[in-house]
Amino acid sequence: MSALTHVGTEVSTDRSDLMAKSSGRALRDRLARFVMWGSFALACVPLVWILVSTLLKGGHMLLSLDWWTLSQNGITARRVGGGAAHAIQGTLLQALVTAAMSVPIGVFTAIYLVEYGRGRLAKVVSFMVDILTGVPSIVAALFIYALWVTTFGFQRVPFAVTLALTLLMIPTIVRSTEEMLKLVPNELREASYALGVPKWKTITSIVLPTAFSGIVTGILLGLARVMGETAPLIILGPYTKSMAHNLFDGLMGTLPTMINQDRTEALQPAIDRVWGAALTLILIVFLLNLLGRFVGRFSKVS
Amino acid sequence: MKTMRISQLAGAALLGSLALAGCGSDNTSGTASTAEASASESATKVECFSGTVNAEGSSAQKNAIEEAIASYGEACADAKLNYNPTGSGAGIKQFIAGQVDFAGSDSALKTEGKDGAQSEAAQAEAFCGAPAWNIPMVTGPIAIAFNVKGIDKLVLTPAVAADIFSGKITSWDDAAIAALNKDAKLPATPIKVFFRSDESGTTENFTKYLKAAAAENWTADPAKKWTGAGEGKEKSAGVSEGVKSTDGGITYVEWSYAKDNKLGVASIDNGGGAVELTGEAVGKAVAAATQVGQGNDLALKLDYATKEAGAYPILLVTYEIVCSKNKDAEKGKNIKAFLSHFASSDVQKGLEEIGYAPLPSEVQTKVVASIDALS
Repeated sequence: MSALTHVGTEVSTDRSDLMAKSSGRALRDRLARFVMWGSFALACVPLVWILVSTLLKGGHMLLSLDWWTLSQNGITARRVGGGAAHAIQGTLLQALVTAAMSVPIGVFTAIYLVEYGRGRLAKVVSFMVDILTGVPSIVAALFIYALWVTTFGFQRVPFAVTLALTLLMIPTIVRSTEEMLKLVPNELREASYALGVPKWKTITSIVLPTAFSGIVTGILLGLARVMGETAPLIILGPYTKSMAHNLFDGLMGTLPTMINQDRTEALQPAIDRVWGAALTLILIVFLLNLLGRFVGRFSKVS
Repeated sequence: MKTMRISQLAGAALLGSLALAGCGSDNTSGTASTAEASASESATKVECFSGTVNAEGSSAQKNAIEEAIASYGEACADAKLNYNPTGSGAGIKQFIAGQVDFAGSDSALKTEGKDGAQSEAAQAEAFCGAPAWNIPMVTGPIAIAFNVKGIDKLVLTPAVAADIFSGKITSWDDAAIAALNKDAKLPATPIKVFFRSDESGTTENFTKYLKAAAAENWTADPAKKWTGAGEGKEKSAGVSEGVKSTDGGITYVEWSYAKDNKLGVASIDNGGGAVELTGEAVGKAVAAATQVGQGNDLALKLDYATKEAGAYPILLVTYEIVCSKNKDAEKGKNIKAFLSHFASSDVQKGLEEIGYAPLPSEVQTKVVASIDALS
């Protein structure tokens, strides 16, 4: 027994010797690890907090079928009932139209920048995209308001919202697509040229398909971002409680404006609906992000 | 190619979810509560239209107009009415810019322009091509809500209220309060004043009242931002929550919040005897207001210092601001149909339940006449 203990203590002293020799590095290592995990945990706190509180307060709203199929038509803050179908549909519809406008412009701009752009024009375009990236959503919204309402004298319609969202979405698409196209190895292009394929055909049948899933990921992530935008909606897209399909006439409800409408209410049915709408929005954006990651997994450009 | 298919799948999923959402329906009547039954019974005489009317403005009347929209929608399924509670100022701006069909505002259109600019009334007239009218529709009393253990009735004069809200009176058993409430056993609890930390029309109207009825005790100018004593809380929900959870708490808040949170509401003695806050007492104060608008323009000037017996003096009136003559005749008819419904006795009576006061009959008659003159 005593021998064993003796051996044990000897080993441990040996170890502490080793530790002593590199204690400075070990300490720094431990410190760095602590800071890293600490910041990670800190960053997670608000995320988990938001998710848990929206789930607890709004989760039960999403369980009823009414939530997904009915609008808020004829429902006041005092009454229980109705759903968010009008807002979900409005958000998806506007996102789809925004995507339909910004994807072609964004992708073609990126193709120009990577494949054709040389000289001053390309520099100017690239610079403009950078500026557009830095434009706050409220400025984009006010710009469209000044153009659409003040200059042209039109009404505030959902289409104006999609115009503002397009302004916000184009730069993110240009940047992500650009990165994806740059990843396509030059050897592929050269091989294609060597076979006598013209440049435009090389782009459409070699470069784009190779980068395709990466581009789609970028688009989905950009879409997820603009869906939660609220400033353009508050300025250009007044809320309505009823179903709306027309982008060019009347109002259209969306999830962010649905949250905004009742956020100051003290009555329980309205509070429940606000949390429910918030959770629905988080869920939709989350699903889009997930879809983006999923598609992105298959983007192996090599 | 595999990647292509997956992306197509993604697109299909997106489209699919959109299509699913497209199945949604506006028919929410299945979940309607029994409270509406009475409204739909009397709805037979409602004049219906099919189309859309958009309005925007004061958040003070949000719940009232929502109720009116809901009952109108029950009678007329094809009518779509939207109200966005973005604030009185925003409502008037959008109305002048032609973005909404009528505006809701806590104050009548200003007839004097600021800094050489055109006045609101002139701008509205320029847009309408005819004078714009202020039609009072919803009266919202402001309650002095309190929470003191053992006290459920409290009488305050404007002078004492001003002293409480400016921090001069700090204890519930202060001699000034005791003199007004001889029967009550006032505890020595310290008074905790809660005020709105955000800029608010309620604060403005309440300080207007204090200034008008007790100028000696309340010297600050009326403003949207609170200048008195106490602890700030955000929005009406915040101050009422503060009072509810604090023994000795007091605040000024819309009646509906005091009701919803079951807070004590002080009676006000302006000099003509203590007046309890009821719909009728508020109506009396509205009826006593003088009309400053011309003809069918019913802009009112409230007399906060009124000594009339039975009139509750702390209130705000929300106007609907409309074009007296709409360029689009169809639109004018639609607005008229809805406002007639809003001003009808049934709807107005129902408002008392949710913390507003119905228009007194003298004013209501005038309002109906104005609405009838719209085109």
